[in-house]
Amino acid sequence: MVGESARSGRLLLAPIAVLYLIALIAPISFFLVMSVFRYSALELWVPTVTGENFARLLGEPYHRAIIVRTLKIALLTTVGCLGLGYPLAWYLARTASVWRGLLMFLVIAPLMTGVIVRTYGWIVLLGSEGTVNTILRGLGLVDRPLKILHTELAVVIALVHILLPYMVFPLFAALAGQDPDLERAAHTLGAGPARTFLEVTLPLSRPGILMGSALVFTLTAGAVVTPALMGGKDVQMLGQTIYELTMSTLNWPLASAVAFVLVLCQLAILLVYFRIGRGRAA
Amino acid sequence: MAKTILELQGVVKRYGATLGVGPVDVDVREGEFLTLLGPSGCGKTTTLHIVAGLLFPDEGRVVLGARDITRLDPQHRDMGLVFQNYALFPHKTVFDNVAFGLRMRRTPRAEIAGRVRRMLDMVGLPGVEGRLPGQLSGGQRQRVGLARALVIEPTVLLLDEPLSNLDAVLRKRMRLDLRELQQRLGIATIFVTHDQDEAFEMSDRVVLLNRGRVEQVGTPEELYDDPATRFAAEFIGETNLIEGVVAAAAGATVTVDTSVGARYDAFAPGRSLRSGDPVYVMIRPERIDLVPERPAGEVAMPVTVAKRVFAGDVITFELRTDHGLLLRCSKPSVAEYRALAPGAAVWAIVRDCRVLPRDGGGEA
Amino acid sequence: MPPDAPVAAAAIERQAPVVAPAAGRAGRLALGVAVTAIYVFLLAPVAIIVFSSFNPTEANTFPPTGFSLRWYAKFLDSAGFVAAFRFSLWLAVVAAVAATAIGFLTAHGLVRYWSRGRGILQSLAMLPMMVPHLLISISLLLALMVVPVPELAALIVGHVLICLPFAIACIVASLEGVDAQLELAALTLGASRLRALWEVVIPLVAPGLLSALLFTFMVSFGDVYIALFLSGPGRTTLPIEIFAYMQWESTPVVAAITSIQILLIIGLGLLIERLVGLRTIMRV
Repeated sequence: MVGESARSGRLLLAPIAVLYLIALIAPISFFLVMSVFRYSALELWVPTVTGENFARLLGEPYHRAIIVRTLKIALLTTVGCLGLGYPLAWYLARTASVWRGLLMFLVIAPLMTGVIVRTYGWIVLLGSEGTVNTILRGLGLVDRPLKILHTELAVVIALVHILLPYMVFPLFAALAGQDPDLERAAHTLGAGPARTFLEVTLPLSRPGILMGSALVFTLTAGAVVTPALMGGKDVQMLGQTIYELTMSTLNWPLASAVAFVLVLCQLAILLVYFRIGRGRAA
Repeated sequence: MAKTILELQGVVKRYGATLGVGPVDVDVREGEFLTLLGPSGCGKTTTLHIVAGLLFPDEGRVVLGARDITRLDPQHRDMGLVFQNYALFPHKTVFDNVAFGLRMRRTPRAEIAGRVRRMLDMVGLPGVEGRLPGQLSGGQRQRVGLARALVIEPTVLLLDEPLSNLDAVLRKRMRLDLRELQQRLGIATIFVTHDQDEAFEMSDRVVLLNRGRVEQVGTPEELYDDPATRFAAEFIGETNLIEGVVAAAAGATVTVDTSVGARYDAFAPGRSLRSGDPVYVMIRPERIDLVPERPAGEVAMPVTVAKRVFAGDVITFELRTDHGLLLRCSKPSVAEYRALAPGAAVWAIVRDCRVLPRDGGGEA
Repeated sequence: MPPDAPVAAAAIERQAPVVAPAAGRAGRLALGVAVTAIYVFLLAPVAIIVFSSFNPTEANTFPPTGFSLRWYAKFLDSAGFVAAFRFSLWLAVVAAVAATAIGFLTAHGLVRYWSRGRGILQSLAMLPMMVPHLLISISLLLALMVVPVPELAALIVGHVLICLPFAIACIVASLEGVDAQLELAALTLGASRLRALWEVVIPLVAPGLLSALLFTFMVSFGDVYIALFLSGPGRTTLPIEIFAYMQWESTPVVAAITSIQILLIIGLGLLIERLVGLRTIMRV
């Protein structure tokens, strides 16, 4: 505690509180409330309560398919990030290599280059004239270029790449925070590497797994640019739907309903995170 | 008696609903070395921070000279505080650390240089001006912290357990150095410690704190010889406490019937006790003499050595009386006492015993 | 960066690295191969961009068929890209400075004055990272339709919002390493609160402030979602310009631009290395 002007010191949080309230919480609340407004071609929206947006969203097969596809891609991306992120985080947390600092930096570095740069890299790699197809044809494995770009697989690959750091860091924090003596204790008690991992390391890293998964899942669900570039028109996701509804169709109430579904998914994930993750950790 | 320069009057500090400290009344006299002594959590650091202005009390006043400084910000108080971990600015050199307070006071640059050098000489650290705190030993850092607090010529020097992070040998030397420096500068000092030896060796007066309250204020001799409460008796030094009831009182001497059946005549200076009052009889271990034969013309009791602990310069005995009472007794480590083994029968003469009130009653 | 990252960084310092002794040679080999493969996966798209930016042909072929700087020249000739690049730089500087300033106030308040409610408040401060950026951006656009504020202001505010969690994470980690008593010591020596901040706290958290500046710069520079909704004519950021271009065609001019961006990032990384050491950047 710093002295007695503590009360005035607490005002240091005033700028951020005002900023978040005006620029984050109020606008998002308003946007979400719009999901129960009626759409009007002339005035954009009419503030009368209606359920028609949700009815349309859940009733039309077109929109239902988008919701299902988004959840599917989000799930696959999360699993992919976990599959690649766990060994990486484990290695980074346990290695004695002098290169550890550099290796950590290499995980962060792609994150710093932004979504566009990395998505573009994947387009170059996965396109019909791209590197992967060139190699495959060079090896004689295929005679015609594989269609990878503009498939769900391409979207998942690029998203896993883009979101991997968000998985690695919570995992790394959970793994590096473990007392190394716990693993040693398990070894001295007769557990082999596999048993030690399953009985000690994995359960203890659970908060990291949940935190990373929650982050990746929600970030995938809200993705626009990567699906648009990697998936094209064939792989439409909720994020793109929102974008098109607000920027070209100008149906704000329906866009809001879509966003509402997105937020619900996120809240559900967070709930799971706090119920399982924190409950067990405490 | 020297003039009072700083006074805490009925100071109370609460932490949420719980009482942190108080009410505390303390006065600091000109040039004196006053120690706040107590176990951890007794509120001594809180009290010191209230003096420094780092905390404001919820009730009561802090008076400096004739000025009420209760709600004055620390930067305007002119108190030199030495922190437990010294809190040296790690990014500033020793010189810049010591000069900091002077710069805040807009002292001319040329004057700063001279005063910093003189102060570093005074604390015995010449020639380290250009180093960073990280390049100094614990003892040197402590001295820099002291120099930084003293160079601003504070009205009161505040020391928050400044010796607790030093090793045992250094700590003993710093006690003497610190006391000598304080006397040379004649600066009123409040020293916080949980170490009774430190408090006794250095202080003019000691304020004994317990659970946020003042148990007793006095010179080290007063606290040792005549503790006001059971806590004071037990916190300071080793002691034998025997529960009893006043049988008869005559002036400063009272006769006490103890729980184990023995009857003691004890001093109770300054206390008005009546027969029937519950009391403790307090006997310091070194005030018991041991003799091999029943002495003539003295009150003595036969005891058996139950246990013997050898600590080099001192031997501590546990003595069992005929009434079944166990008394601790410490004797210098000389041949006649070294010879006493468990089971030996000797005579004990209690040279001095005091009475203090029981059940929290009495005038603390 | 996720909120756990500072914890991760703290863990690096606390814990001496340990390699599980019983992992076995085969296990270690498998892990080594897996980790190498993951790094190839991580770095391949970035490496391929740099290669294809020097490719003389129109198609994004690999391996490159020659060496040419024509796509860089084309970038410099394109007024749209150059303007967007400049605007992105300007916006990133503004957003980084604002986010670092507000982030410092917030971090200082959290660490020093809100010891009790700090956990919850710090999570709340991370809110813009937990909410999809799409949602932040679209809500700001909606707010513009109701409250007449210049679109540029909304764009800046949006970037400050998404930068703040990064700035706060950097500075909180840095402030936690500074003994709170140093500020108290400065006060007892006669410094005012502001002076204590300036003389003691800020110099000691300077590495944290610097990494906050650089990180938020990169976050702002790389953003698509905020700019997707809030950039307008003459105020298009580079990623949006590229995005718009890529929806129609995909020539190596994009590779040239993104290579420049990658170069910029590496440059900033080296700058941090020179100034405070790369370790500091890991604290985020």
